[in-house]
Amino acid sequence: MRVVELIDVYKIYKTEFYEVKALDGVSMQVEEGDFVVIMGPSGSGKSTLLNLIGCLDKPTSGKVLINGVETINLDDKELTELRRDTIGFIFQTYNLIPTLTALENVELPMIFKGISRQERERRARELLSIVGLEDAMDRKPNELSGGQQQRVAIARALANNPKILLCDEPTGNLDTKSGEQVMNIIKEQNEERKVTVILVTHDPSLAKYGSFVIRLRDGKIERVEG
Amino acid sequence: MYLELAKRNLERAKVRSLLAVIGILIGVMAVSAIGIFGESLKATVLENFEDVANELIVSPNYQEGYKYLEKKDVERIEKLPHVDSAIPIKSDSLLVEAKKKKAYLPIYGMEEKDVEEMFDVEKGVIRLKGSCVVGKRLADFADIRVNSKITINGREFRVAGILEDTGARFDINPNTAILLSPDDFSKVSDAGYTMVIVRADSLDLVDNVKKEIEDKLNSREEKVIVFDLKIILERINEAFSQINTFLMAIASISLLVAGVSILNIMLMSTIERTKEIGVMRAIGAYRTTILKIFLFEAVILGLIGSIIGSVLSIAGGYAIDYLILQNVKYVFQPATLIYIFLGFSVGLATSVVSGLYPAWRASRLEPIEALRFE
Repeated sequence: MRVVELIDVYKIYKTEFYEVKALDGVSMQVEEGDFVVIMGPSGSGKSTLLNLIGCLDKPTSGKVLINGVETINLDDKELTELRRDTIGFIFQTYNLIPTLTALENVELPMIFKGISRQERERRARELLSIVGLEDAMDRKPNELSGGQQQRVAIARALANNPKILLCDEPTGNLDTKSGEQVMNIIKEQNEERKVTVILVTHDPSLAKYGSFVIRLRDGKIERVEG
Repeated sequence: MYLELAKRNLERAKVRSLLAVIGILIGVMAVSAIGIFGESLKATVLENFEDVANELIVSPNYQEGYKYLEKKDVERIEKLPHVDSAIPIKSDSLLVEAKKKKAYLPIYGMEEKDVEEMFDVEKGVIRLKGSCVVGKRLADFADIRVNSKITINGREFRVAGILEDTGARFDINPNTAILLSPDDFSKVSDAGYTMVIVRADSLDLVDNVKKEIEDKLNSREEKVIVFDLKIILERINEAFSQINTFLMAIASISLLVAGVSILNIMLMSTIERTKEIGVMRAIGAYRTTILKIFLFEAVILGLIGSIIGSVLSIAGGYAIDYLILQNVKYVFQPATLIYIFLGFSVGLATSVVSGLYPAWRASRLEPIEALRFE
């Protein structure tokens, strides 16, 4: 099943003085269960591409289809629900809510979905166990290491059983060992639960995790490997 | 959970939240305490008029050619239902001589028992048989003492007593007058009854009695004018309510300042938490969810400030009453609760209104823009 499809997508940022083509006619398809690694130098349009797939941004022209639904026609509420139910986000800077404990951070997307307290607590505990943080559930982000915070972020991203996991430089702020731990968890989710992973990075060592690699340059797909 | 999230966000900036609470607290306290004081002031003033509130003054209608009330009119009034008492009064302005001073002064002709009922004596006794009683200010002015002799219209009277100063009254003013018995009055003046002071059985029956008198006495011609003192009470009540509203409006400026402070604090908080808002939007929070979280923060600040402010306003009202009125008995009356509730509501409403704009602004943030915010 095709979970992501981009058809001739352009994203142009205009200012008074200049125009930047962040994406210049990108077309691509991602099937369910794929592990796509998108690589490219800074400014190549990787993050823009990820934001469009994550329904955080809209293309200037072209079509973005998530699960067969064209996102351009959706209103804010529908986009929010699509993100909440279908997509999990993992950011480079973890982006956990500092006032909440690890457990509460993982519960948050389920709260937004209206899942009962009992059920969401059970699931949050289960997810934190999967990422190896059963002993740190009641700790707040500032009491966790970078690697631990990113693992909480993964648990949070998986909270609502998303079909797609969008990872923006997930190991960018981590040491090699923590980075590997994080990547293994993501890979595990991809292999065991058939979660589609789209990962953006400029770290060449992560290419090995992908079922195929898309190389971007100047807003265009330079080549697809694998 | 949203409430919990709001609470924790406030705890994150404890000093700032505390300052916002103090602002609201002071505002609520000012509004409620001033309200309590205004109500106490009104009650204190009205207390002085309470005993005359169920009085009606019946006087002849000069415009229709009636100078005096007739004896039978007085008797008819006395017989009306719900009339507790009717005090007929004759009055005239007569030449009075005392200790080589002479002046035209008001002279009242009243029954001794009525004088005793209406006024207190400061010196001597109230005895009107062949003698008179004199108002306090007149006695002081003309150096009249008990047993002094005064001449009214050429007839000599011994002063039996000097009345206490009655202050301002709406019926008769004995302070600068001389009171005689009706018989003695007839010997110095041929004036008839110029007034009947009627007391209704209760305040609620004043209107009934007024109507009865008008029906009975004015059935053919408008012979009498009936003036009820209740209306004065109502006017005083009205005036003090307006003063109170004005005072509270001034006090509510402090609430306005507190509201601006909440607005400022929450706007800062919105900016500081822009990225967090972006994250929440990215992982599935609706705009309304963000709005709710921020509004809860304003409500929490408002609730805490308003509750503490309300409690302290009792102490504030007590202090103002004690300092200005030297009387605190009106602090603990039902109206106080109304002002506490009013202060509380205005405090809470101010917080919510102040929180609306920052909350709305937070909810309008585009997730992508918010996530990019550093």
